Amino acid sequence: MTTDRTAEAQTGPEDPSLLQKRVDRRGALSILVGGLAAGAAAVGACAPLSAETDEEREVKLLAWREYIKGNYRVMTEEERAETIARLERLAQLQRGVDVTIQSTGAQPGVLFGYAFNVSKCKGFRRCIEACINENNLDRNADTQYIRIFEIEDGVVDLDRGDATFQHEVPAEGHFYLGTQCFQCADPPCVKVCPVGATWQEPDGITVIDYDWCIGCRYCMAACPYWARRFNWGAPEVPPEEVNPNQHYLGNRARKKGCVEKCTFCIHRSRQGRLPACVEACPTGARVFGNLLDPDSEIRWVLANKRVFRLKEDLKTEPRFWYFSD
Amino acid sequence: MNHTPTSCAALWVAACLISGCRESHPAAWERLPPKAIVAQADSATAARNAALEPGLLATIQAIPVERWKGPGERPFEVALRSAAPEAGHSRMFGTITLPIALRSRTAAISQYPCTSCHLGQKVVMANKRIQDAHNNIQPVHPDQTGAVCSTCHSDDDVALLTLKSGEQATLDESYRLCAQCHFPEAKTWAGGAHGKRLDGWQGRRVVMACADCHDPHNPVVQVRIPFRAPQIQRPRGHGQ
Repeated sequence: MTTDRTAEAQTGPEDPSLLQKRVDRRGALSILVGGLAAGAAAVGACAPLSAETDEEREVKLLAWREYIKGNYRVMTEEERAETIARLERLAQLQRGVDVTIQSTGAQPGVLFGYAFNVSKCKGFRRCIEACINENNLDRNADTQYIRIFEIEDGVVDLDRGDATFQHEVPAEGHFYLGTQCFQCADPPCVKVCPVGATWQEPDGITVIDYDWCIGCRYCMAACPYWARRFNWGAPEVPPEEVNPNQHYLGNRARKKGCVEKCTFCIHRSRQGRLPACVEACPTGARVFGNLLDPDSEIRWVLANKRVFRLKEDLKTEPRFWYFSD
Repeated sequence: MNHTPTSCAALWVAACLISGCRESHPAAWERLPPKAIVAQADSATAARNAALEPGLLATIQAIPVERWKGPGERPFEVALRSAAPEAGHSRMFGTITLPIALRSRTAAISQYPCTSCHLGQKVVMANKRIQDAHNNIQPVHPDQTGAVCSTCHSDDDVALLTLKSGEQATLDESYRLCAQCHFPEAKTWAGGAHGKRLDGWQGRRVVMACADCHDPHNPVVQVRIPFRAPQIQRPRGHGQ
C-alpha cells in the first residue's frame, strides 16, 4: 500500500493511467454525458484505440454499460433483459462460454422451506460437490456454501462440531448436521446492507445483486449462521466446468469483492426443480418444498416430525428445520 | 456424474445389443399368475414403455397393499404417482393415492436376466447352495433370522418377490416387501421424510424405491470417503 502511494507521488497527476484509475461513479457519469466512446476508453485499459480489435472494443463498451446500470430490484423488464443480454455476451467474449441467464421471478403462492434429517446424513459431502458444480463456485478459493458438521452423539453444541473431518464416514458415535443459508423470514443480513444490494424475494429466498454489492461485508457480520461468503479475488471456474443454466440472482459469474451465498438454487427451484444438494444427497436426508402447499413433503415433515431450528432465540425465523427419524 | 443424452442413448443401445439374444425369454411381469391385481398390468406396460424410450424415467402405478394396517387400523394402499390427474395430491395413508413416481428397476435388468439360469427351477437355497453361484451375495438381512434366497425371492421365479401373503411382486415393488416389517420407514417414505426425491418439488414427484438406495442383501449404508473437506481458517469450522 505504501509503495503504491510513493509511486503515485513520484509520477504525479501527469500519468494518464492514474487519472483513469481514479474515475469514480459520479465522474464516470459526467464522462458518459460527453460521449459513450470516451467513457469506454476511460474505463478500459490504456491501449490506444487504433490497436483495439472490435471484440476488445465491444467488451469495453459492455463493461462500461454494466458499470453504470441500476439496482436489479428497481430495473424495468426491458432493463433486466438488456443487462442479461450484456452479461451473456460478456461471458461469451471474456470466458468463451455460452450461458443462459434467467430473470425468472417468484411463483405466486410459493414459499420455500427446507428440512434436514440429522439421522440420515452420513457426512458424504455429495451435496457440497453438487453445490460447487451447480453454482459455479470459485474453484481457486474453494468456496463452499454448505458445511457438514461432524458432532459427537449426545452433543447439541454446534461449536463442538467439526466441519473439516476427512476420514471414512459415518464415524462411530457421531452424527452429521449440515448448514447453509437458512433463508430467514426476518433476515438480519438484509437489514444491515447499506446499499440495498440484498433483499428477500416473495418466495422467501434472500438474494444479492452482485453488481450492486460494494463488498462492505456488513451482512457477513450480521448473519448469525455464517452463511455468506466473500470473494477476495475474482472467482475462477474452468470454462468447461461452467454451469450454463444461470440466474441473475443466483449462480451467474460473480466479481471480485462481492458477497454471495446459497439461494436454494434459485435457477432450479423457481422452475419447480429441486436444489442440487437435495438431488445429490445419497441418503435422502434433505427435504425441500413449498411451505404454502399443505400436501408438500416439507409440510409433512413439519406436521409429523419433531423439528428444531438453530439459534431460534434470535428470532430470525429460519426456513430451515432439522429433524430426526 | 451427469450423463449426456448421447451417452445415455449409447449405453441403452449397447444394453439392447447385449441382451438381444435373451429376448426370447418372457419377462418376469408377463409370467405373473392371472390372480395378480389389474394394476400390475399397468405397471408392466409403463415399465416396458420406459424401456423403449431411453433417458425417460419410468413411472409405474403402485399396487394397493390390502394387508397393511395404517393409522386407526385401516388398511391402506401405497400408490405411486401416475400421470393421471385423478391421482390427487395427498400423501397420506388410508385409501388415498400418492402423487409420486417410482424409478423403475425391472426394466434395467436386461443384461443377465435371472431366467437365463433359473427358468422353471425352484429355489432350493434353504438346504444347499451351488458353489460359485451368487457367491458375492451374502444375505445378512434380515439379521439373525437365517435368511435364505427364498425368504424374499419367489420359489417359482427368482425375478419376482414373494410376500408373506403369498402374493408375488416385481422387483420394482421392493417397498411392498420391505414394508411388511419396516412400518415407520414405509410411512415416512410415503410422507416424504425418508427416501430420496428426484426431479422436482412441484408437480411430478419421483421417489426411489427401497432397493434403489439400499442393497437388498446388505441394506446398511456402507462407510465411504467423503468429498474433500473445506479449507477453513477459523478453528471449529465457522464461515470463511
